[in-house]
Amino acid sequence: MRAVKRNAGYFACSCKQGGRHAGFKWLSGTAFLVAALFLAFFTAGYVLAERPQLSPVVRNVPLVFPRDFGAHPGFRNEWWYVTGWLETPEKEPLGFQITFFRVATEHDRANPSRFAPRDLIIAHAALSDPAAGKLLHDQKSARDGFGLAYTTEGNTNVKLDDWFMLREENGRYQTRIKADNFQLDFSLTPAQSPMLQDLNGFSRKGPQPEQASYYYSEPHLRVSGKVTRDGEEIAVKGIAWLDHEWSTAYLDPKAVGWDWVGANLDDGSALMAFQIRGKDGSKVWAYAGIREPSGQFTRFEPDQVSFEPQRTWHSTRTNTTYPVQIQIQTSTTVWVLTPLMDDQELDSRQSTGAVYWEGAVTVTRDGKPAGRGYLELTGYVEPLSL
Amino acid sequence: MRWRNKAMLARWLLSGEWQAHKVQSGVAVLAIAIGVALGFAIHLINTAAFNEFSAAAHSLSGESDLEVRGPQATIDESIYPLLAEHEDVELANPVLELDVALPTHSKERKDATLKILGLDIFRASVMAPDLIGIPAEDKLFDVLADDAIFLSPAAMEWLGVKQGDILNLSVGTQTVALRVAGGLRRARAGQRIGVMDIATAQWRFHRLGQLSRVELKLLPGTDKAAFKAELEQELEPQSQYLVAEPTTRETRVANMSRAYRVNLNVLAMVALFTGTFLVFSTQALSIVRRRHQFALLRVLGFTRKQMLGQVLWEGAILGFVGSVLGLALGYATATSALHYFGGDLGGGFFPGIKPVMHFDPAAAIVFFILGVGITLLGSAAPAWEAARALPAPALKSGSEDTALARLENPWPGLLFLASGILFTRLPPIFDLPIFGYLAVAQLLTGGIILMPPLSALIFTAVFRMVQHASHARPVLTTALARLANAPNQAAIALGGILASFTLMVAMAIMVTSFRVSVDDWLRHILPADLYVETAASGDTRGLIPDEMKALAETPGLVRVDFFRSSKLMLDPSRPNITLIARPIDISEPGNTLPLTGESIPVAQLPKGAIPIWVSEPMVDLYGYTPGKHVTLPIAMPARTFIVAGVWRDYGRQFGAIQMRLADYQALTDDLLVNDAALWLEQGVAPEQVIESMRQLPFGNALEFSDPGQIRALSLNIFDRSFAVTYLLEGVAIIIGLLGVAASFSAQALARIKEFGMLRHVGMTRRQILGMLAIEGGLLTALGVLLGFVLGGCISLILVFIVNPQSFHWTMQLSLPWRSLLSVALMLMFLAAFTAVASGRHAVSGNAVRAVREDW
Amino acid sequence: MGKSSTQRQDALDLKPAILELRHIGKAYSSAGDGRQVLTDLSYTLRAGEYVAIMGESGVGKSTLLNLIAGLDTPDTGEILIDNITLSSLDDDAATRLRRREFGFIFQAFHVLPHLTLSQNIALPLLLNDLPVEGAEHMLDSVGLAGRGHHFPRHLSGGELQRIAIARALVHRPKLILADEPTGNLDPDTAHDILMLMRREIKANSASGIIVTHSHAAAATADCVLVLTKDGLHPFVAEKAADLPKQIK
Repeated sequence: MRAVKRNAGYFACSCKQGGRHAGFKWLSGTAFLVAALFLAFFTAGYVLAERPQLSPVVRNVPLVFPRDFGAHPGFRNEWWYVTGWLETPEKEPLGFQITFFRVATEHDRANPSRFAPRDLIIAHAALSDPAAGKLLHDQKSARDGFGLAYTTEGNTNVKLDDWFMLREENGRYQTRIKADNFQLDFSLTPAQSPMLQDLNGFSRKGPQPEQASYYYSEPHLRVSGKVTRDGEEIAVKGIAWLDHEWSTAYLDPKAVGWDWVGANLDDGSALMAFQIRGKDGSKVWAYAGIREPSGQFTRFEPDQVSFEPQRTWHSTRTNTTYPVQIQIQTSTTVWVLTPLMDDQELDSRQSTGAVYWEGAVTVTRDGKPAGRGYLELTGYVEPLSL
Repeated sequence: MRWRNKAMLARWLLSGEWQAHKVQSGVAVLAIAIGVALGFAIHLINTAAFNEFSAAAHSLSGESDLEVRGPQATIDESIYPLLAEHEDVELANPVLELDVALPTHSKERKDATLKILGLDIFRASVMAPDLIGIPAEDKLFDVLADDAIFLSPAAMEWLGVKQGDILNLSVGTQTVALRVAGGLRRARAGQRIGVMDIATAQWRFHRLGQLSRVELKLLPGTDKAAFKAELEQELEPQSQYLVAEPTTRETRVANMSRAYRVNLNVLAMVALFTGTFLVFSTQALSIVRRRHQFALLRVLGFTRKQMLGQVLWEGAILGFVGSVLGLALGYATATSALHYFGGDLGGGFFPGIKPVMHFDPAAAIVFFILGVGITLLGSAAPAWEAARALPAPALKSGSEDTALARLENPWPGLLFLASGILFTRLPPIFDLPIFGYLAVAQLLTGGIILMPPLSALIFTAVFRMVQHASHARPVLTTALARLANAPNQAAIALGGILASFTLMVAMAIMVTSFRVSVDDWLRHILPADLYVETAASGDTRGLIPDEMKALAETPGLVRVDFFRSSKLMLDPSRPNITLIARPIDISEPGNTLPLTGESIPVAQLPKGAIPIWVSEPMVDLYGYTPGKHVTLPIAMPARTFIVAGVWRDYGRQFGAIQMRLADYQALTDDLLVNDAALWLEQGVAPEQVIESMRQLPFGNALEFSDPGQIRALSLNIFDRSFAVTYLLEGVAIIIGLLGVAASFSAQALARIKEFGMLRHVGMTRRQILGMLAIEGGLLTALGVLLGFVLGGCISLILVFIVNPQSFHWTMQLSLPWRSLLSVALMLMFLAAFTAVASGRHAVSGNAVRAVREDW
Repeated sequence: MGKSSTQRQDALDLKPAILELRHIGKAYSSAGDGRQVLTDLSYTLRAGEYVAIMGESGVGKSTLLNLIAGLDTPDTGEILIDNITLSSLDDDAATRLRRREFGFIFQAFHVLPHLTLSQNIALPLLLNDLPVEGAEHMLDSVGLAGRGHHFPRHLSGGELQRIAIARALVHRPKLILADEPTGNLDPDTAHDILMLMRREIKANSASGIIVTHSHAAAATADCVLVLTKDGLHPFVAEKAADLPKQIK
C-alpha cells in the first residue's frame, strides 16, 4: 500500500518539476516507478516489439505463504518495505527505512539477451538521527540479471549488488545496506503472523475495482544489529514494520499525493492508515486497519477515516510545507502522530528528482502514548511556475 | 644615451635598406610568413582534429580506471558478473560497441557506419553520464526499450532523422528498424554516435552473449597497477582477455594517425625550409650589394660585433614580422579550414568530427621561435661574412663576388651529403623515420651548399666549350662568362628554387611510385570478375551459410570465393589488425596474395601447422617473420600458427593476417562471411549475374562492384589523401619562384653600372635582356638538373626508408618523367621571364649616369 | 721650401706627436711573388700639422693610409697613434680608436645613399655616443645649411664631398685622412673643397694627411711629402713658383 502512496508522490514531483531536472530524472529507479504506473497510458504510438502481458490484481485470491513472501514477476510493481525505530546503547532513538522495489518493464519478453531488462530492482535506504537533525539516505538501481540483482519466487530473497534482504526458513530477515555514508546490518525477527490488509490482503487504492494491490504487513519485527556511520559501528536494537505489496494497476488520475502511517503499538496492536489526496487536498480514498494482539482485525471504510494536520513544518530546501504532526480519526478513536524530528525530508532532486517526507513518529491514542511508527507524506512539493 | 644612439643608428640603416628594397624584404617576410602559417595551420588542424578525436574516443569510455576486453572484437559476457563482484571493483560497466552499417541505398553515405554503444543505463549513468539518452518526457522507459535508439545531434543531422522517426540499419542482409527515441545528455560537436540498451543491441545486432569490453571503476584507494597485475593473472588461463588502462585506448588512437600527422607536419616544414634558403639568399645578396656601405661603416668605426649585430638584427626583424604574420595567417587558415572542411586533411583518420579550434600558445611560441630562428639561421652566414670582410679592399668596386668566395668551399656541402647518407642507414625512432627525414634535410642542405662550386665548375667548362666553338655570339658568351666567373651570386639566387624543386621531384617520384604500386596491387588483389558484399562495412555485415549457398548456386559462375574478415587486437596499445579468412591455394599462395620477399614452400611447412600469411606491417610491428610460430587468440584454447609468407598491403596500415577460410571455420564457430568474389563463365555478362542475385530473398541487401569500380574508388581515395601534399608542394614552388624573382631583380639593379657599360660599348637593350634571359634560363637549368639528381636521391629515401618506417609498406620505384619535365621546362621559362622582367627596369636607365653610379 | 719648413718645425717642436711611424715595412704577396710596397718607413706627425703626401701610382700611398687607419697591419715596424701602439690593439679596440680619433675623406665620397645628409654627417656622432645636434652645425660650416633632410642622390660631386668633410670632422677627431679627395671633381670645385678642408681642419685644431696626385691639392697643406721606395721625403720643387702663393 505504502509504495503506491509514494509513487503518487513521485508522480506529482515528476510532473511538476520535470522540466527543471530533466537531465537527471531518468537515471533513477524511482522515476521508473512513476513511469511504470503510467505505462499503460503512453504505450500507444509506434511499437516495434511485443509488449508483455501482466497479471491484474483481482479479489478473492487468497495469499499463500511462504510462496507469497517471494516475488511475483507477473505483476508490474512489487516492494518489500521496512521502517522502524532503533535504540542505541545510550538509549538514543534512531529511525530507519529500507526498501526494495521490483518493477516489470515493457521490454519484449522474446529478447533472449541475458541483459534484457524484464525487471528492474530499485532500493532505497534512509536513517533518521535527531542528533544529526536530518536524514541520511541513498538509493541504487539495476536490471535483474547475471546474479547481480534479483528477486526470487517462493521466499523473500532480494539482492541489488551488495544490498540484500533475505528471509530465512525460520521467518527471520537478514538485511545489509552498504550506503554511501552509512551502513545497516540488521536481523528482523517476527513476533506475530503476517497481517493481511484490507480484504484478506486485497487492498483497494481507489474508487475503481482495478485500483488495488495485494498487501500484507509484518508488524512488531524485533530488530537487532548494527549501524555504521563515519567508520563507527554501534550495536542497535529496536522494532520495525515490513510491508510487502504487489500490483499491476495504476493510480486514480485525480490523485496527487498520499499520507500513510504504520505503527507498532505498545500493547502489541498494529495500526495502518492512509489517505489518497486529490488536487485540492480532498480525500480521494482512505483506509485504516487495526490488529489486536489477539489477532482480531478491524477494517475502516474510507468515510470512517479522516486525516487532520495539526502542525506544519516548512522546508527551506525545497520550499515545501509538510503536515508533520497529524491527527487521524478512525471511527471514534483519535490518533496523534508526532515526529521524532521535523526535518525528515528526503530531497533527492539532484539524483532522482523525488522529494517527500518520511520519518519516525510517536503515536498517541486518545491523548495517551500508544506506540511508535513511521509517517510518509508525499505530493506536497510546490508546483513550479513554468 | 648609449642605447638610444645605437637604436637610432640601427633604425636609420634598416629603414634606408628596406625602403630601397621593399620587394626583396617583402618576399623574404612572405616566405617566412607562408612557412610559419602552413606549419602552424597544419599543426592546429591536426591537433584540434586529434584532440577532438581522442576526446570523442575518451568520452566513449567515460571515467573508468581499467577496462577488460579481448583480442577479438567481442568477449563473452560471462566475464561481466565475475568482474562486477570482484574484490576492489566498485562498478563494472558492460559495453557493446559496434560500427553498424547503414542501408546501401543511401548512396551519399556509401561505406558509412554509425558507431552504436549498447549500454546498461544503470551502470553507464555512473561511469559515463554523458552517454545517457534523453527520452521524451512521457516515455522514460525508452532508455530500456527493445526498439529504441538515442542519437547524438550530429548523428541525427547526418542521418536526416529526428526524435520519433524510424532509423533503418543493416545487419547482414537484414534491415533492423529502430525508433529514434531522443538525443544524448551530452555529445561532442560532430560526434556521430548512437546509444541504446545493451540487451536491445545484443539482440537486434545478433551479438547475444557478447560484449566489447567491461569498464571497471575501482574502489577508492585501490592500487591500480597491483590490481591490474592480479586480474591479468586471474584471467590469464583463459587467454582471451586483455586488461588495459583507458589511456591505452588513447595511445591506440594516437598511434593510428601518428605517422600521418608527423608526415604532414614534416611536409609543412618544407615550406619553412624553403623559406630559410630564401632568407639566406635575400640577406646574402643584400650584403653583397651593401658591401661598400658596410666597409665604410667599418672604417667609420663599426666594430665587427656591431656589424654582425646589425645584419642579424635585420634578419630578426624580417623573421619577427614574418612569423607574426604567419601565425595570424595560420590561425585564420586553420579556423576557416576547420569550419569548411572539418578536421580531416585527407588522411581519413578523423572522419565526421567537428573539432573546435583552440589557440595553442605553446605551439604559437614554438612556431614563432622557429620562424625567427630559421631567419637568423639564414642570416647567420651572410652576417658573419659582413663582419669578417676587410674594410679597405671592400671599399673598392668590383669585389662583389669575392665576398662570397667562402661559398666555393665544397667541404661543408660534402660533409652534409655524407652525413645524410649515413643517416639513411639508421633505424626508426619510436616508429618514426626521424633519421630518414634528417637525411632528407641533410641531402638538401648539402646540395644547396654545393651549388656555387658546382655551378662554377660547370659554367666554366661550358664557357670554355662555347668560347672555342663560336665567335659570333656575344650575348651567350657574356652571359656564360658572368656565370662562370661570378657563380656565387647566381647560385645563391637558386637556393630557394633548388630546395623547392628538389622536394617537388622527390615527392612526385614518391607519390607516383606509391600510386603505381597501389594500382598494381589492386590489380593483383582483385582478380575476379565481380565482387559482392553485404551492408558495405561495419561490424554487422555478413552472409549466413544458407545465403552463401544460394549465391554460389547462381547460374553463370565458374568459381566463388568467400571472405571473412574480422578485427583482432594483439596489443592493446596498437590499433586492431585485420584477420582475413579466404580460400588460399597453399601450393601457390602467390596466386591469391601479392607476396613480397621469401615465403615458405608448402613442402617445408611443418606437418599439421596452420599457415598464415601476414602483411608487411606485421613483420615490423609484431615481428611476424616467415617461419615464426605465433599464437593467435581466435579460438579456445589459443592455437599456434606458422607465418608462411609476407604480402603487400596498402589497405591496412596497422597490419593484417590472411588464413584459409577452411582453417578459420574449423577453429572458430564463426560461419559468417562478409564478401564474395565471383568468376563468371565465358560469355556471361556481370549484369546477368547481378540480375539473378537480386532475385534472391536477400538480394536487396547485396552490393555489387566490379574490379574497375573498386580500383577507381581506391585511387580516388588515394589522390584525395595526397591533395594536401600537392598543395604544399605548389606553395613551396611559388615561394621558390618568388625568391628567384626577388634575387634576379636585386641583382639586375646592382648591375645597372655593368649594363650601362655594356650599352656604352655597343650592346643593344635587346641583347642585354637576352643575356639576362640566358643567364636566368641557364641557371635554372642547372638548378633543375641538380634538383632532379638531388630529388631523385631524396625520393629513394622517401620510398625505401620513410614510407616503410612510417607506414610499414614497401613499393616499387616509378618515375613520372613527363610531368617532372614539363614542370622543369615551365620553371626554366618562368625564371628566364623573371630575369628579363626584372632586368627591364635596370636597362631602361640612363646609361651614362649608370656608369658614374657608385653604389 | 727648405727655409719655411725649418721655421715650421721650430714652431711645432713642442707640440706632441699625434702619429709616429717606426720602421714600417709592408709587402703584398699576390700571386706568389712578394711585392714590397713600403720599406723601413719612419715619420712623425705632430698635433696641428697638415701634410700632403704625393707619389707615383703604386708606390703605396693608399696602403700607408690604410696602415695608419688600422685597416691594414704592417709586416714590420710600429705605428703609434697618440702614443698607443696600433699593433697592440685587437680589431675592436682598433675600431674604437679609429672611430674616435680619425676622420676619413675618400675620392669616391662614400656617402650612404639611403640616409639624409644630416644622418650621414651624424654617423660618427652616433658611433661615438655624442649628441647628434652637432651635425646641423657642421652642415652650416660646409655651406649646405638647411639641406639636412635631402638625400645624397640630389647632390653634385662637390656637394657630396662637402658632406664627407663634415662627416670627417663632426666628432672632432685628432687626425683627418683624405685619399684623393678631389680626384673625382672638376678643378674649380676641387679648389673650393681643398680650401674648405684646410679651413675646417685648422678650425677644429686637427691634424691632417692628404694623399693626392695633384700639386694644386698638395699645395694647400702645411708641407708636402713625397713617398718613394726609399721612404718619405720633403718635396723639393724645381720651381718655387709651382707652389700656389695664396696659401702662405
